[in-house]
Amino acid sequence: MKRIAVPGRASPPPPAAEPGVWRRLGRSPAARISLAVIVFYLLLAAWGCSGWELPDWRTVNYARAYQGPSPAHPFGTDIHGRDVLAKTVIGARTALTVAFLASVLAVAIGLILGLLAGYLGGAVDGIITWVYSTLESVPYYLLILAFAFVLQDRSINLWGMEFRLEGINAVYLALGLTGWVGLCRLIRGEVIKRREGEYVLAARSLGASPLRVMFRHLAPNVLHVVIVTFTLGFVSYIHAEVVLSFLGLGAKEVPSWGVMIDESKLELARGVWWQLLAASLAIFGISLALHVFGDALRDALDPRTRGTKR
Amino acid sequence: MKESLRIEGLRISFPSPSGELVRAVEDAGLTVPPATALGLVGESGCGKTLTGLAVLRLLPPAARLERGRIFLGETDLSELTEAEMRAVRGEQVAMIFQEPMTSLNPVYRVGDQVVEAIRAHRRLSFASARHLALDLLDRVGIRRPRERYQAYPHQLSGGQRQRVMIATALSCSPRFLIADEPTTALDVTVQARILELIASLRERERMGILLITHDLGIVAGETDRVAVMYLGRMVEEGATRDVFARPLHPYARALLRSVPRLGQGRRRLEAIRGNVPTPALRPSGCPFHPRCPLMIPVCRREIPPLKVYESGHRCACFRAGEEAT
Amino acid sequence: MRRFLVKRLLYCIPVLFGISLLTFLLFRVVGGDPVDRLAGKYARAEQKEQLREQLGFNLPLWPRPELLLAGDLGNFADNQLFHHLFDTFTFRFGRSQQYHRRISAMILSGLVPSLSLTLPAFLLGLFLQTALALLSASRRGSRFDRLLTLACLVGMSFPFLALIIFGQSLLAGRFGWFPILGFPEKFGLGVLTHTALPVLLGLVAGLGGGVRFYRTILIEEAESDYVRTARAKGLKESRVLFGHVLKNAMIPIITRTVVVIPFLFLGSLLLERFFSIPGLGYMLVDAVNSSDWPVINALTFVGAVFYLGAVVLTDVLYALVDPRVSLK
Repeated sequence: MKRIAVPGRASPPPPAAEPGVWRRLGRSPAARISLAVIVFYLLLAAWGCSGWELPDWRTVNYARAYQGPSPAHPFGTDIHGRDVLAKTVIGARTALTVAFLASVLAVAIGLILGLLAGYLGGAVDGIITWVYSTLESVPYYLLILAFAFVLQDRSINLWGMEFRLEGINAVYLALGLTGWVGLCRLIRGEVIKRREGEYVLAARSLGASPLRVMFRHLAPNVLHVVIVTFTLGFVSYIHAEVVLSFLGLGAKEVPSWGVMIDESKLELARGVWWQLLAASLAIFGISLALHVFGDALRDALDPRTRGTKR
Repeated sequence: MKESLRIEGLRISFPSPSGELVRAVEDAGLTVPPATALGLVGESGCGKTLTGLAVLRLLPPAARLERGRIFLGETDLSELTEAEMRAVRGEQVAMIFQEPMTSLNPVYRVGDQVVEAIRAHRRLSFASARHLALDLLDRVGIRRPRERYQAYPHQLSGGQRQRVMIATALSCSPRFLIADEPTTALDVTVQARILELIASLRERERMGILLITHDLGIVAGETDRVAVMYLGRMVEEGATRDVFARPLHPYARALLRSVPRLGQGRRRLEAIRGNVPTPALRPSGCPFHPRCPLMIPVCRREIPPLKVYESGHRCACFRAGEEAT
Repeated sequence: MRRFLVKRLLYCIPVLFGISLLTFLLFRVVGGDPVDRLAGKYARAEQKEQLREQLGFNLPLWPRPELLLAGDLGNFADNQLFHHLFDTFTFRFGRSQQYHRRISAMILSGLVPSLSLTLPAFLLGLFLQTALALLSASRRGSRFDRLLTLACLVGMSFPFLALIIFGQSLLAGRFGWFPILGFPEKFGLGVLTHTALPVLLGLVAGLGGGVRFYRTILIEEAESDYVRTARAKGLKESRVLFGHVLKNAMIPIITRTVVVIPFLFLGSLLLERFFSIPGLGYMLVDAVNSSDWPVINALTFVGAVFYLGAVVLTDVLYALVDPRVSLK
C-alpha cells in the first residue's frame, strides 16, 4: 500500500489525538470518579461471567423465597428463592454486553454510512439520507419495539450457518440497527464541513482514492464525535434493554435488570422491595457514571474549549 | 483633572486552563481628558480590550479585577454599586464594540434597539423615543432613517450596523465613548467614513473618546493623545504628535518603524525580533526586555516605572529616548 | 410561504414511502407468514389456505417484472407490496387481529386518553424546565446552579421504569393519594384525578434532560456579544435576561420542542401501561404482546406521519420566529 505523504503545511492534528486532551480529562475529578465506577461495573460483569464465588442464580429454593437481605443473601431472594445479588451481577453482564454489542454495530454502520454520505454526496448521499430520515421519523421506542418484535425467534442463514435469534440476541440487533442514525447524521455533517479542507485536497491531488481519503484522512478527524456518541449512546442502550426486557422482548433466559423490575411489580404488593431496589440502583449507578464521563469527555474533546489554552 | 476619565493601577487576572492565575493587565493607567481622543494601542492580546471593558465593569465572568481605580471626574467607578454602575453605562460612558454583526441582537429591529438604549435612561414615551432614535440614525449618517429603522441587523451592511451601534451609544449624550476596534471588521473605505463620523461627533458633542486599536494609522489620524500597551503594561503615553515624532520607548519606536509610510522611499520594514510572550510566561522585570535592542541587566531585574518627561509625555523605560546603536 | 410549504410537504413523500416500505419489510418479509399463528394449531390445511386468501397472503410478495414487460398490468399490480403501499397511504389499516375492531377507529378512540396524559405533561414541563433553566443559567456557577445540574444528571440516570413503579406503589398504593390506575369512560373531572399521578411522574422524569438542554442553550446565548452590548447600554439585568437572552434562546428551544409533539400523540408507552390508560401507547404495547402486527404497522405509519408534520411545522415556525431565516 503506497504511503501518500501530504506535503506542504502540516494539517492540524485530529481532535481526538491532540496531546493535551487526555491530560485534561485526567485532571477532572468527575471524570476520574465516573471512570472508576465504570470500571467497577466492568469488573462486576466479569465476575458475572466467571461466576466465581457467586451463588448460582438458577438455584431455585422455594423454602427460601422472599427473604429479605441477610448475610447469606445480601440482596435477598426473589419469588423463586433465587439470590438477588447473583441476578444483579449477571444482569450487569447482560446490560453491558448488550450495550457494547449494540454500540459497536451502531457505530460501525453510522460511521461508514456517514462518511460515504458526507464525502461522496450526490445519489449516495440522497439514498442514505432517505434511509435515516425514514428511520428517524418513527418514534424511537416504537421503532425498537417493532424491530425486536420482528426479530424474535428468527433464524438467519449466514455462510451456511444458522443463527437463531433468541431473546437477547434480537435485542442487540434491534438496537444496533436503529441506533446508527444519530451518529450517521453527525458524521455526515462533520465530513461535509471538512471535505474541502486543505489536507483533503492535497491528498486528492496526489491521487488518493476516495476510499483512502475517507478512511485515512477524514475518519481520524471525526473520531472525537464517535467517541462521545459511543459513550452517551451506551447509556441509552442500557435503558432500552431494560425496557425491552421488561416488556418481554428481551432477555428471557438470562437475568436482566429489566426482568427483575418486571418481577418486582408483583413483589411490591407483598411488601418485597429488595429486587426493585437492587435493579434500580444498579441501573442508576452505571447511567450516572456514563453521563458524567461522557460530559467530561465531550468537554475535553470540544474544539471550542480547547482553543482557550493560550 | 476634573471631568476626565482616569484609570489608575489596573490589574486584571484570568484563571488559565491549568488553574493558575494569569495577569492579563498589570498596573495599567491612562487619562482621557474631556473632548479629547486617546488612542490605546498595542498588539493583539496586550490587554487593551480588557482595560476598556473594565471601565464599565463588563469584564467576562472569568476575569477578575484585582486592583485599580477608575475615575470619572471625581467619582471612583470601582466603588459604585451595580445599580449605580448601570446608571453610568450608556449615559455617562458608552461603549461600542468590534463586531457590529454579533453586537446587535439579531431578532430585534435596529431602530428598536436604539430606542431601548434611550428608554433605559430617559423617561420618554415610546413615540418620543422613536422620534429621537430616528433623529440619531440621521445624525450618524444613515440614509432614509425611517426605512432603516425597521430593518433587522442582518439586512444592513457592516458600515450601517456600526453606525447603528454609534447611534445607540450616543443616545443619551454620554461624556465619554469607549470604542473597541470599531473599524477592524469593516472594509477600508468604510473604515474611513466611520472614523470621520466619530471625529465629527466628538467635535459636536464634546465627547471624550478612548479609541482602542492596533492600527497605528488610525491613531495617527484620529487621536490627540496615545497610550501604548505591551503585555498588559503601559509603556508610553503622550500627545500623539510628540509620541510619533519622538517615541521614547524602544517598543513604541520599533512599532512606528515597522509601519510603512508614504514618501519614505524604499526601505526595509523592520520587524521586531522575537514574539509576544503569552501572559502566562511573563518575563521578569520589564516585559519587553527579551526583545529590546537596548536591554541592559537592570531591565531583567526591575520593572521600569512610568516617568514623566516633557509636557505630559510619559515612558516606562530605563533608557527612555536613547537610540539603538 | 406557500411554495416553501409545498416543497417541504413534497419532501415528506419519499420518507412516508420509506416508512411504508419499512413496515412491509419488517412485518411481511422478515416477519413471515402469520397465518400459522392466526389459524391456531388445529386448523386444517384448507382452512389455512382460505384464511390466506382472505387476508391476501397468497399473493406474491414482490411485483414481478416479467408481468410488466408482458403488458399484464392487472396481475403485475396484484402483489402484496403494492397492496400494502396503497392501503397504508390511504390509511386503510384493516382490523386488529386481536380485537377485530377497525384499527382506524381504535386509533381515534385512543387519541384522547393519550393526549390528556401527554399534553399537560408537555406544557407544564416546558414551562417548568424553561424557568429552572433560566434560573440556573442566570446564576451560573452558584451553588444552586451546581446542585441543579447534579439533580438533572440524577434525574436522567434513574430508570423511568423504576420511578413509575415506586411512584405508583408508594403514592397511590401505600399512601392512597391518587387512584392506582384506570381512566374514566366519559370525559369528565375523573380525567384529572386519574391523570394526575402519571403526569407528575412524567414531569419528574423529563425534568432532568430538559433543564440541562435548555440551560446549555441559554448559557450559550448569554455569552453572545449582543448581551454585552445590552449591558453596556445600562439595561436592567432582568431586561437583559428576558428581553435578550431568553428571547433568542426561545428559537432553538421552540424548534426543538415542536418536534416532540408527535410523541405526545403516542402517549407514553410505559405510563399508559402501568396506569391502564387506554391510549395509543397502551395499544402498542398490547399489540406487541399479542403479536398483533396490523396494529403495530398502523401505529408506526401514523407515528411517522405525525412526526413529519411536526418537522414541517418546525421549519415554518423557525422561519416565522427568526427574522434571519427567509422563506425561500
